[in-house]
Amino acid sequence: MPDIEYVVQMKGITKVYPNGVAANQGVDFNVKKGEIHALMGENGAGKSTLMKMLFGLEQPTDGDIIINGEKVNLTSPTVAISKGIGMVHQHFMLVSNLTVAENMVLGMEPKSKGFIDYKEAVRITEEYAEKYNLHVDPNAKVRDIPVGMKQKVEILKALVRGATILILDEPTAVLTTQETTELFRELINLKNQGHTLIFISHKLNEIKEITDRLTIMRGGKSMGVYNTADISKEEISRLMVGRDVILTVEKDKAQPTDTVLKVRDLVYTNEWNKKMLDGISFDVRKGEILGIAGVEGNGQRELVDMLFNLNTPDSGTATVNGQSLIGTSQRKIRDMGVSLIPEDRMTFGIAGAGTIEENLMSDRCFKPRYNNGPLFNLKNMHDDSDQLIKDYAVLCKSRGQQVGMLSGGNIQKVVVAREFSCDPGLIIADQPTRGIDVGATEFIRKKLVELSRAGAAVLLVSADLNEVMELSDSLIVMVNGKIAAYFEDTAVLTDIIMGEYMLGIKQQSEEEVRRVQHEE
Amino acid sequence: MLQQLCSLIFTVSFGYSIIRITSPILFAALASVVAEKAGVSNIGLEGIMLFSSLFGVLFAYWTDSWLIGILASILVGVIVAMIIGVFALKLKTDIILAGTAINIAGSGGTVFFLYLFTGLRGNTASLTTPNMLTPKINIPIIQNIPIIGDIFSDHSILTYVSFILVIVVWVLLYKTALGLRIRAVGENKNAADSVGVSVLKTQYIAIALSGALSGVGGAYMSMYYSQSWNTGIIAGRGFIALAAQAIGQGEPVGAMFASLLFGFASALANKVEGLTGFSSYLVSAIPYAITIIGLVIYAMTQLKKSRKKS
Amino acid sequence: MKNKTMLKFEILRRAVAILIALAVALIFIFLCADDPLYALECLLIRPIVSNGAINFKSILTILGRTTPIIFTGLAVCVMFSANQFNLGAEGVILLGAFLGSLVAVYFPMAAGLHSVVCVIIAGIAGGVIMLIPALVKVKLKASEMVISLMLNYVILYVCMHFLNYYFADRSKGSVMTYDFLETARIGTVVEGTELTYGFFIAIIAAIIIAIFMFRTRWGYAIRMIGINESFSKYSGIKVGTIIIVSQIIGGVLSGAGGAIEILGRNTNFRWNALPGYGWTGISVAILAKNNPIAVPLAAIFIAYLNRGCELMSIYAGVPSEMIDVIQAVIFLFFAAEQFLSGYRQKLVVKEAKEEISQKNNAQMKGENA
Repeated sequence: MPDIEYVVQMKGITKVYPNGVAANQGVDFNVKKGEIHALMGENGAGKSTLMKMLFGLEQPTDGDIIINGEKVNLTSPTVAISKGIGMVHQHFMLVSNLTVAENMVLGMEPKSKGFIDYKEAVRITEEYAEKYNLHVDPNAKVRDIPVGMKQKVEILKALVRGATILILDEPTAVLTTQETTELFRELINLKNQGHTLIFISHKLNEIKEITDRLTIMRGGKSMGVYNTADISKEEISRLMVGRDVILTVEKDKAQPTDTVLKVRDLVYTNEWNKKMLDGISFDVRKGEILGIAGVEGNGQRELVDMLFNLNTPDSGTATVNGQSLIGTSQRKIRDMGVSLIPEDRMTFGIAGAGTIEENLMSDRCFKPRYNNGPLFNLKNMHDDSDQLIKDYAVLCKSRGQQVGMLSGGNIQKVVVAREFSCDPGLIIADQPTRGIDVGATEFIRKKLVELSRAGAAVLLVSADLNEVMELSDSLIVMVNGKIAAYFEDTAVLTDIIMGEYMLGIKQQSEEEVRRVQHEE
Repeated sequence: MLQQLCSLIFTVSFGYSIIRITSPILFAALASVVAEKAGVSNIGLEGIMLFSSLFGVLFAYWTDSWLIGILASILVGVIVAMIIGVFALKLKTDIILAGTAINIAGSGGTVFFLYLFTGLRGNTASLTTPNMLTPKINIPIIQNIPIIGDIFSDHSILTYVSFILVIVVWVLLYKTALGLRIRAVGENKNAADSVGVSVLKTQYIAIALSGALSGVGGAYMSMYYSQSWNTGIIAGRGFIALAAQAIGQGEPVGAMFASLLFGFASALANKVEGLTGFSSYLVSAIPYAITIIGLVIYAMTQLKKSRKKS
Repeated sequence: MKNKTMLKFEILRRAVAILIALAVALIFIFLCADDPLYALECLLIRPIVSNGAINFKSILTILGRTTPIIFTGLAVCVMFSANQFNLGAEGVILLGAFLGSLVAVYFPMAAGLHSVVCVIIAGIAGGVIMLIPALVKVKLKASEMVISLMLNYVILYVCMHFLNYYFADRSKGSVMTYDFLETARIGTVVEGTELTYGFFIAIIAAIIIAIFMFRTRWGYAIRMIGINESFSKYSGIKVGTIIIVSQIIGGVLSGAGGAIEILGRNTNFRWNALPGYGWTGISVAILAKNNPIAVPLAAIFIAYLNRGCELMSIYAGVPSEMIDVIQAVIFLFFAAEQFLSGYRQKLVVKEAKEEISQKNNAQMKGENA
């Protein structure tokens, strides 16, 4: 076998999804044999798409993939596995009620006399566990083992199927510090045995600690390949976090008055025993937009869930004008003047098979304005729907059209039209412009500013740095379920500063962070 | 009255009839277990049993062989189950509706097919010959033990098969590659798919197996229990099996105990029926009522468990 | 895809489903009828035309027979719209019929009022009994389906118990109640047919339920829960309450329907098994695509086929139970989302292509000008 320097070569990879989104544009990605190679980038930078293509889950629109010097056509994970590629997914692909050994051999079961040779399965598991120093309990059910061990099982699953190139998708996101340390020891051990590892992460310390080289992606393009030793954290952060197009939104200076939303010491531990919210406290005042920035998965989603009673915290309080949000029904929360643009628009934002009108009326259909005794006041419904469609420039044939048939941007406009038009005192906007076209994005941002200047309190959660920096009057950064920084005035902020806080290079003192609690 | 009741329950014939009544439900409950493990809710068991019970008798009559009758009932069970499978898995009919359609087809379709093939209306009593009925078996040694022999011996061969199938289904699910794949597919499709296990194929196999199992359950009714086929022969046993599956937590052994519970209630109902002061109708309702109560208790314990976890 | 194209496709899809069912029926007819053509005539034509003339009596009888399945069809519509697979209409219609009968036999009242009271009591009982699967679903998260199935049998046997032990008219040859008091009966519209005023009540019920589903906040909530429960919860809809309400309405409709049916087309109560109307109601709801206003049409269609099958069994020796097979086949294809999806895909692609070429043409024209 010729000595091939690169085991993975992806050349000029372009991927355009059917909805027209170009997730990768001419990306080159090369991995040397036996190295740990970091693939870095913000959410939406295109790294997941790139890796999906390498694991056969997606096919490139353009470009070549060369594995061990051989041009390959990876049409499915099965093909990728046969080429020696394995993937450890962020959300484990494990069957909880099966034992570790059973998960290991699923699809390639050892048999004797027609039965599964469970002893052999255990033996295989132990052999690989021993060989790679990844200790697992073959007889334990997956649901009973800790997350760290689950991850080992995932790695072993790939290895037992002959993987020599291993893709690890944010492997430390779910791990505790100790587990992370252990994982790194194991990964280095794997590397020493000749395996090649591709490591997707946002965490700079980890990258510096464990990888040999790194590729940075931004906006679907590669920002270059570097030797980890030769590049500083600050430089990585600058390359990774940045604004490609600076959209500016004109807004007057905020004149915040009374506190509307008051959150104190929210703590939430998820079902895998990871603390997703670790004592979150902040205030949002009337007339201001408070942004929450941060790499996704640092507790933002959980925070929003708590504020709309879609989940219950372990402890802590959240009040709007003194009334508690925790454990309060959504109807009451809405009566308190809270509205939410949900992150998962298709699950919470709309009823896809319903009409535009039905979707616009979901939070208010019971109100006197829309009812004549027991019957709907259709005239008011039609009038208001038409008005909303007009005001929010929803592109559609009529109010009777199915919402699910609209484009992403127009669906979001329907959601926004509903959530903004109920005279909200507090608007929680969770990724309000994700994945929608520029026109709709601009429109929604303008509306958000308009409403805040008219006196609404706005909590803006966004992984889009451009958005969160431009729209927010003041801003907090969430890292690991904690508030890492509070900036009273976003005007002074730069991408570089933000990057350093978001990636955990810097952290404000407790006093500084506490300023977001605007106590009298 | 209580004394009267006790004297009924503590008899060998009572034990015998529990087993006899449990068996057909057990077949169907096992069918439900296999399908449910693969993530397919087969609520068409009632219809499958109706078709199988009819064609079992018909084939047995035509060939004068109970064995061929059983094989035919299995085949018909598989075919009908596959109809549900194709509609549910390929054409994306809601699985509950697909099952309901099969139940509707079964209730009248069987009468129609009976007429089509034999010209008879409503029942096959006139066709029955001894060769068509599944033979009873005496178990050596055990049959000579007093009481135990009377309870456990001299049952239809299918009765023994149904209880043996509890073990077979357990072995299938827990000791074979197919069983591993069925369980994996039912619990986490993506995980199974990611290691090259075909979800669709596995689900088809599971639903076919459930058709075969409930098919024999149908044959049990017409070729042993009732000695012939009639329109009301299944009488909701396919539905009770669904409940037995749920109460038995989807496990073969659990489903067996749940089926036995129903068998006990039914046997009790049959016994009590003859007594003065007991309404035969009211006692007929007992098994179904017990099933509801069982389901409610089961749901309560499940809910408590999940509350404790969180 | 455009709304219009989609509508066309839907109509085509349903037509094909019905044609397939009739083709299946045709095969069976050829297999078992002595004179298949005559049998076919019985199935398709004789329900409305006999001896060369339109048979109004037969038509009116068909309409009369839709009464119970309109009620169960509506009940299923409401419950399925909220994504509640409650299959209890079968038992509840029997309960309603039985309780309505008892009131009709034992509680003399003024004419007019009497039948109303019978129907109301039956409806209330139906609603109350459906609380069992509904509460178990909402409070304990247990399957309403299995519970409602079991409930059907419990209702059957309990009613049979009371009928046999307390309310049977011993002077009759078989088990039945005493005759209803005349004041309770729901009259026949045209003598000699089975068309009773119950049919009109059923039509009114369909209109009311349609208004309820599409013109009131509760019906709206039911439909939204059926489409997307998470969305409904997030929007502030009281999901648990509405799920319970949907099943109570299903129970009220089935129960009231049972009383209306029994007081209309019968002189006393003599059902000795589950009537099957609940299951047919599911077929009706599927055919109507859960749209209450289409329920009477779907019911008429089923009743028509039923009548055809009946005539076929009388005159051409084809067992009337063939209706169940036809029903099941239509049912399966109607509910099959992916049925003819290949064709739909072609339509979508064709339409997209046309739109693109139209745009190009428009652009070219623009450039030329």
